[in-house]
Amino acid sequence: MFATLLTLIGRRLLLSILILLLVSVLLFIVLRALPFDPAAMSLPPNATLAEIEAKRLEMGLNLPLPQQYLIWLSHVLHGDFGSSIQFRRGVLGLVTSTLPATIELAVLAMLIASALGLAGGLTLFHVRGTAKEPIMDLGTVVLLSLPEFLWALFLILVVGVALHWLPFTGRIDPNMRLPVTTGFLLIDSWIAGRPDIFKSAVEHLILPSLALGIAFSPAIMRVLRSSLIDVYQEDYIHLARLRGLGEKRILLRHALKNAALPTLSLMGVQFGFLFGGTLLVEVIFSYPGLGNLMVDAVRNADLPIIQAVGLTYCIVVLSINTVVDSLYLILNPKLRLR
Amino acid sequence: MDMLIARNLSVSAALAERPVNVIENLDFSLAPGRILGLVGESGAGKSMIGRTVAQLLPPLFSVSQGELLFDGQNLVTMPADARRELLGRDIAFVPQEPMSGLNPVLTIGQQIDEHLARLQVGNRRTRHDRAVAMLDAVHLPRPAELLSKYPHQLSGGMCQRVLIAMAFASRPKLLVADEPTTALDVTIQARIVQLIAEMQRIDGTSVLFITHDLRLAAQICDEILVLYAGRVAEYGPAREVFARPRHPYTRCLQLSNPVMSGANRGLYTLPERMPGLQALSEMTGCAFASRCPVVREDCTTTPPPLVSLAPAHRAACRHSEATPGIVAPQPPVETAPSAAAPLLSVSNLGKTFRVGRGFFQHEDVAAVKSVNFDLNDNEFIGIVGESGSGKSTVARMLCGLETPTSGTIAVSGRDVTQGDTAARRHLRSYVQMVFQDPQSALNPRRRVGSIVTQSLEATGTGNHAARLARAQALIAEIGLPPEAAFRFPPQLSGGQRQRVNIARALCAEPRILIADEIVSGLDVSVQAQLLNLLLRLRRERGFAMLLISHDLSVVRYLCDRVLVMYRGEVVESGVTADVFDNPQHSYTKTLLAAVPPDDPATIWRPKTDSADGTLPVEDPA
Repeated sequence: MFATLLTLIGRRLLLSILILLLVSVLLFIVLRALPFDPAAMSLPPNATLAEIEAKRLEMGLNLPLPQQYLIWLSHVLHGDFGSSIQFRRGVLGLVTSTLPATIELAVLAMLIASALGLAGGLTLFHVRGTAKEPIMDLGTVVLLSLPEFLWALFLILVVGVALHWLPFTGRIDPNMRLPVTTGFLLIDSWIAGRPDIFKSAVEHLILPSLALGIAFSPAIMRVLRSSLIDVYQEDYIHLARLRGLGEKRILLRHALKNAALPTLSLMGVQFGFLFGGTLLVEVIFSYPGLGNLMVDAVRNADLPIIQAVGLTYCIVVLSINTVVDSLYLILNPKLRLR
Repeated sequence: MDMLIARNLSVSAALAERPVNVIENLDFSLAPGRILGLVGESGAGKSMIGRTVAQLLPPLFSVSQGELLFDGQNLVTMPADARRELLGRDIAFVPQEPMSGLNPVLTIGQQIDEHLARLQVGNRRTRHDRAVAMLDAVHLPRPAELLSKYPHQLSGGMCQRVLIAMAFASRPKLLVADEPTTALDVTIQARIVQLIAEMQRIDGTSVLFITHDLRLAAQICDEILVLYAGRVAEYGPAREVFARPRHPYTRCLQLSNPVMSGANRGLYTLPERMPGLQALSEMTGCAFASRCPVVREDCTTTPPPLVSLAPAHRAACRHSEATPGIVAPQPPVETAPSAAAPLLSVSNLGKTFRVGRGFFQHEDVAAVKSVNFDLNDNEFIGIVGESGSGKSTVARMLCGLETPTSGTIAVSGRDVTQGDTAARRHLRSYVQMVFQDPQSALNPRRRVGSIVTQSLEATGTGNHAARLARAQALIAEIGLPPEAAFRFPPQLSGGQRQRVNIARALCAEPRILIADEIVSGLDVSVQAQLLNLLLRLRRERGFAMLLISHDLSVVRYLCDRVLVMYRGEVVESGVTADVFDNPQHSYTKTLLAAVPPDDPATIWRPKTDSADGTLPVEDPA
């Protein structure tokens, strides 16, 4: 099994490199095609035309596009993503300092989506054929049609503004200070031995991750429900009943693991989208993650950041897919052993 | 006291406006240590009886009257928990599809252990030892290793052995075996049946053996109950029922099955098919009346009584004295194949598959090794062999669906082995294929009329009206009503769909039909209709056919010559009658011995192939 898993990951890695190269080319072309002059933008507004021209030559903007790309690529391969036009700081540092926040949000949202998906899928399956089924079915359709930003606004209004239960801006209480070790607040506060900060970070995470998690759970519920229904048509379920096994055992031991396989492949796709969904949610909750960095960058036409964040999104989505596929391999003996 | 007794048992379905009895007034009793065969075609309700024993009926089905007593307790009225306690402990089941009967994501060991844990067999260690002993008892090799395997790593026969081992783990009082060998190869079928009989003898278990195969039932059962449309047609001692059937349906069923010994006789073809739920709800008289060859006026007014004819032999027929008068039609007239230039000539044909995907891990497996034969005009050749023998690969190569790795295929003198466009066109103008599974071979969203004329569409021949006319002609030729052209495949029965499948192949006026298992999975009466249809079509149109089949009796009935394939090679070939009556190769002998004999008085001795008398075990797939 280990060998098969390594083969899969190795193959994925090679493929990912190709995909990343392709994405970087696309990003580069699109951003260069826009009517922005990076040289002018990186100089003070009172710069003369001659100064701008000199800057252009310095930045290599007079070179042909493929050559510009190769220069950019070689810098990137040496870990140099350029420096931000608006912040005058290295882009890599900006990305690595905001990425942990987004990962915390996304992972928690995925956990919430999975838990809700599992619970909802089992409930939907349980009520099949009863009078409750159409009502529950309608419920999931409603859930399915509400996007994450509406959930975010709704949660802010109800839980944050009306009930004052939970905070809904930022990542942590503004008065708290914590030395950065990993960038993950939940981990850093633990290392620093500051349960108060840990608590604050968790409180700040709940609403945004809940908004994302709820929005992405209905599809999981529905696929789990229909996979369970399919699995229950199988002979081995019927035969398990004929062996006198109880319904609970049949569900948990025989049906769920089989139904998990199609559900898992859907989750791979879903979690890619979920990661993209962090962008809007971060903006709504003023959560200082990758999404807010990206929105700022777009607003100020900060091309180096846009490029780097775009690639980061791409890397994260590819990693999520690899993780999900590895899980699939682990759960499915037919793929594991030939 | 009898182990299982059905008294006046009816199961009804609330599908139509009023409930319809899918099982009606069923009476039988099964003594300890005996085997009762439930025989009938699909839709006869035999599996429904198995489900009634477990009280796991499909939705909308329920027991409407009568009782089913197991060891004195009524299974129908018993509380669900008490019944569940019996299942897997005192009442065990062996299913039809062994491969899908085991959970694909759990190992064999995990599944056996779960069952033993439920039976409260000691701790994990004793359960493991017990599991090894169980697998050993069903003659599986290296049982300890097998425990860590997943079902897909085992062959169908091995899976069935595992399931049989689990079924007998609790020394059950009753075993319900629902077509336990239908999905398996003929030689493995014989071994599995023997295994069930062996285990049954050791534990003194009563067996309810559900099968569509009257010949098999006559061999292994003590009593036979023939079901028709959920009603008892005939019930009596197995050999007696088989040797002297008293119900016309039993007789017709017997006569529609090709024989394995003696002179070929014609196949009796029952018209139409068993009444469905709708027809049953409107029926007043005997359910078989509409198809009965000796039907009288009083048959359609009231249901027939179950008449006692001999000790313990009963038939639900008022006119059972007419049954022996039903005779098989004349055997088909032999059409001498023209021995001029062969239509199809295959020499040294071979196919090697690369197995495994890794760069270093793959190995080459020879599916077909050096096959040679000629097919003449108007000649039917059968290829027999077990799954994995390479017979389907030969068929696929001949149709151009696989490229041979060695050898040549010549059609009408022209080499078509290298599949360039011209060769393919030549091949297609001569050869058409009829696929195995008519359900998936026909596009469910196209009307039959347009399906059968697909080949005209491909070549762009004719306009819509011309194609429809051609479709009508073909549909009439294969014996379907004209309105069938406007139906969709799901609206047809399995037999009708296979006719459509044949019509589609015939549309291109092929000289050669390649037919891969075209009657497997169909009922005997439907099979007889199709076999006779093929013979009639050959008389009328003239074509040659290569029939791939695992059913030796079908090949014996239909084919002029036969090739026996074993592990990719043709081990024996010749005129069908010669090969079957006087087999030379030991594998051919094994194959032939695995078929239950026509005469139940003949003792069935499937070959066991090994010196110490234990059964040989099939290779993992």
